[in-house]
Amino acid sequence: MCKLSQLAIKLLLRDWRSGELKVLFLSLVIAVASVTSIGLFSQRIDRSMNHQAGEFLGADLILNGTTSLDEDNLSEARKHNLKTSQTISFSSVIVANDEFQLAHIKAVDKNYPLLNSIRISDEPYGDEQVSYSGPASGEAWLAPRLISALKVSLNEYIEVGQIQLKVTAILKHDPGQTTSLISIAPRLLMNISDVVNSGIVQPGSRVTYSQLFTGTLADRQSFEKWLKPELKADETLVGGTESSQAINSAVEKARQYLSLASMLSVLLSGIAIAMSANRYAQRHYDQVALMRCIGSTQSNILQIYITQLILLGVTAAACGVVTGYIAQQMLSLLLHDVFSSQLPSAGVYPYIIGFMSGFITLIGFSLPAILRLRSVSPLRVLRHELSPLPIQAWLVYSLAASSIVLLMWWQSGNLTITLLVMTGTFLCILALLVLSILLTTLSRILYPTLSGPWKLGLQQILRNQRQNQLQILSLGLSLFILMIIYLIHSDLLDRWKNQLPDNAPNHFVINIQQYEIEPVRSFLKSRQIYTEGIYPMIRGRITSINGKLVSEMATETKKLDPALKRDLNLSWMNKLQQNNRILRGNWFDANSNGKPLISIEEGLARRLNLVMGDNLIFSIADQRIVATVHNIRKVDWESFQPNFFIIFPENVINKFPATYISSFYLDKTEKKLLNELIREYPTLTVLELDDIMNQVRSIMDKVSAAIKFVMLFVLVAGLMVMTASIQSSMESRSRNAAIMRTLGASRSYLRNSLLAEISLLGIFSGLLAVIGTEFIAYLLYLKIFDLDYQLHITLWITGPLIGISIILLTSWIYLRKIPDQSPVKILRYS
Amino acid sequence: MQSSNNILVVRNLVKKVDAVDTASSSVITILNGIQLEIKRSESVSIIGASGSGKSTLLGLLAGLDKPSEGSIIIDDINITELDEDSLANIRARKIGFIFQSFQLLPGMTALENVMLPLELLSENNARQRALYLLDRVGLGERLHHYPKQLSGGEQQRVAIARAFTTQPELLFADEPTGNLDKTTGQSIISLLFELNMEQGTTLIIVTHDDNLASRCERCLLLDSGRLTNVQA
Repeated sequence: MCKLSQLAIKLLLRDWRSGELKVLFLSLVIAVASVTSIGLFSQRIDRSMNHQAGEFLGADLILNGTTSLDEDNLSEARKHNLKTSQTISFSSVIVANDEFQLAHIKAVDKNYPLLNSIRISDEPYGDEQVSYSGPASGEAWLAPRLISALKVSLNEYIEVGQIQLKVTAILKHDPGQTTSLISIAPRLLMNISDVVNSGIVQPGSRVTYSQLFTGTLADRQSFEKWLKPELKADETLVGGTESSQAINSAVEKARQYLSLASMLSVLLSGIAIAMSANRYAQRHYDQVALMRCIGSTQSNILQIYITQLILLGVTAAACGVVTGYIAQQMLSLLLHDVFSSQLPSAGVYPYIIGFMSGFITLIGFSLPAILRLRSVSPLRVLRHELSPLPIQAWLVYSLAASSIVLLMWWQSGNLTITLLVMTGTFLCILALLVLSILLTTLSRILYPTLSGPWKLGLQQILRNQRQNQLQILSLGLSLFILMIIYLIHSDLLDRWKNQLPDNAPNHFVINIQQYEIEPVRSFLKSRQIYTEGIYPMIRGRITSINGKLVSEMATETKKLDPALKRDLNLSWMNKLQQNNRILRGNWFDANSNGKPLISIEEGLARRLNLVMGDNLIFSIADQRIVATVHNIRKVDWESFQPNFFIIFPENVINKFPATYISSFYLDKTEKKLLNELIREYPTLTVLELDDIMNQVRSIMDKVSAAIKFVMLFVLVAGLMVMTASIQSSMESRSRNAAIMRTLGASRSYLRNSLLAEISLLGIFSGLLAVIGTEFIAYLLYLKIFDLDYQLHITLWITGPLIGISIILLTSWIYLRKIPDQSPVKILRYS
Repeated sequence: MQSSNNILVVRNLVKKVDAVDTASSSVITILNGIQLEIKRSESVSIIGASGSGKSTLLGLLAGLDKPSEGSIIIDDINITELDEDSLANIRARKIGFIFQSFQLLPGMTALENVMLPLELLSENNARQRALYLLDRVGLGERLHHYPKQLSGGEQQRVAIARAFTTQPELLFADEPTGNLDKTTGQSIISLLFELNMEQGTTLIIVTHDDNLASRCERCLLLDSGRLTNVQA
């Protein structure tokens, strides 16, 4: 056993020296390097996005409860090396200058905020300053709207319950303030030590107690593990990513782009490994036959080659992990400008996945070829034409397919995209088969009409159909994957970015009263501020689903969906909003008017297990409204337009008092207009969304940079596939050329026919790639990324051209020598 | 009693193969009831026209292929009853090969090629033995050359050295001079017989070369699937 292992190592070193292993080894290194670096980079970006989201909340983790929270949580958190802070949020009427205004008050301790900062200014919508802690005891910071509603200025006093607080700043931004658009009341920040004296918080008051935590991921995770079983029914834990629907949606999309791109690079490396392993095995048939002839048993052969496979796997995987680390470090340095702050470091997980992926790909893609070596007959030494029986096709395909699905799923954590990509690849292979039959038929028709090198080139393709089909398939798949990545980068990302144009609405106006609709509209119009629309908004609560009371559901299941615990924003309209799409059912028509129907947002429907035709009872202003689910709607939360979970048709809930909501874009330089608006309509609330939008844009930039990086790996992996593919046909090509030359073909004739053959291969592969790309793009656009699909006309022209160029470039390095090689030498050694 | 003198005994050997080129499933009989006895240290040549089944017979005698009927007994062991692993063991310990196309591994140097059989047997003295034999076949100066850096004659010398490394009792040679010019062929034949004499190996040669056939103690003709003695 030990001696055999030594022999295996010796043979491996000899193979290495003779250059046999280079493509296999390099393909493996690239596969591992790409998985590792993409994994590392994705995780760092992911962590950075989480961190950004965390900055939005002011903490990584927040525990909310309606009764006061257990102090033990804080001491336990500190044991886990987490920083902690506490806040109390409640609504109360504030009094100043005989004016009364309901405010949303947040009382904070000295550690608040744990992440990010509070932004304040001296005048509403004026220049901002940054503060890393909240107001001192006896002080209060007021939102601009509260300032104008109470008609107070800085250094004046306001009454909060039984105490007076001095207004020391205007509150511009407080982390977590955009978690929900429902907190309509203007905000006030005060010190937590003043809460008791104010006398506002009494037993039974509606108060949210929060404990905030921040620390390293590992510490947070171990703390969460401790905390989760301790949670009471009224307590909820909010992670860093749950801060904003728009950011969530962007982060999710970013993850999908990245995982899709990295999956494709793994798939491509897999193909390269399969091809080079196959060639490696084929080139060892003679060696194995000889070894068996001089006495090696089948199990010896298997042991030798499995040992080699493991050694190769370990070495290549180790080199790949190191290469991957260096590559992503270099990338982080290069992209320093994109990431305004230092990216958080990644954990060990990407290294493990990268290393293991080397093994999984190597085994999945090369084991069938290596197993075949075991059954090489020793008689091959006498009868060279004897090839080992092929391993059963299902074994080869299922091994390769399952290993790649496993790997892609493991890496991406997204089964839908994994299966979609696999289905696409499978369909692409099927398309190839149909296409190759068509092309062969067409070639047979064309063949008699051609002459010279083109005729010979086509003849070569027709003669060796199986080998060429394989070559067209591998080249086609490489080009297909390159095109998909290119589309993701150029088309999908651009379209995503275009959904958030520079003039996307960055302000929401809420609390518009019915009588204010027209004046507000004309106010905005007169100042050239464009608004998409002004929509009604009514607060209502779901009290029953299909005859089951929500209150009963709460006792049955410990966790009640938050949407059932609070008032929802309901609206009514007859025209579907631009950024909404109907998934099931139909949008309301003229007959729907006055009927108790609802349109429900897809995510909410899924969470509440609602399907078409389900009946819901709403409690709106103490009245019961029964309504039926008429359609399910997809909402683009990143559009920054007013969006609603539940929409009624006209004349169902119109009778209830409603406020109105609108959104518009305002440049930074025009912010002063907001003061004017608030002065004129003091009951309006303006929410500034610039921060969320900047976050989303920053995420988009990061993904764009990351995908460029992935493209580089995919390109290298693609070149490896092409090299492996061209190499596999080198011997038969050399031999053919040598025979042709002995028969009198000139070198230029051979060169031209070789060029013609390669060009035809390029055109066929290019066409195949374009067909596959269009098909997958269609599925990706509609099913995953929610984008409109249109045919990529230019791709149909550039695809085959790119095919020819890349194939010519890669193959010419190897093939250019063929016409010049000595026929005697080739025939002697072949 | 008789078998202890014979290293190889063949009884009623039949080899049939399916004809693949015809539409109907017919069977072709290549070897039809071969009877053969070969004594230890004897040298035997097998001649016959192209396609007469010489290489098929060689493959069967060396345990590389399975017969349709009959038995092949090497050193009192009926190898037709053995499984693959036992056959491999017999080949490793008792049999050596020389081929027309040399069958050297292109990625290995002359020395490595010669060491390989002993390495497969996990022998410790592989290097010394290979060095000795390469020196013996006159390639002491070309140890680290790869096959493509050697002439045809030199490659066959390496193959001969490799065949003798395990000191086989039986050496099968398939057209050993088939790829060589006359002069080189002559020197290879001489070398083969010298080593044969030195090591007392039994030599079974399949050849077209009359000169080589005549150097053997016995010459057999394979014709129509049967073996007959030919006067050397």
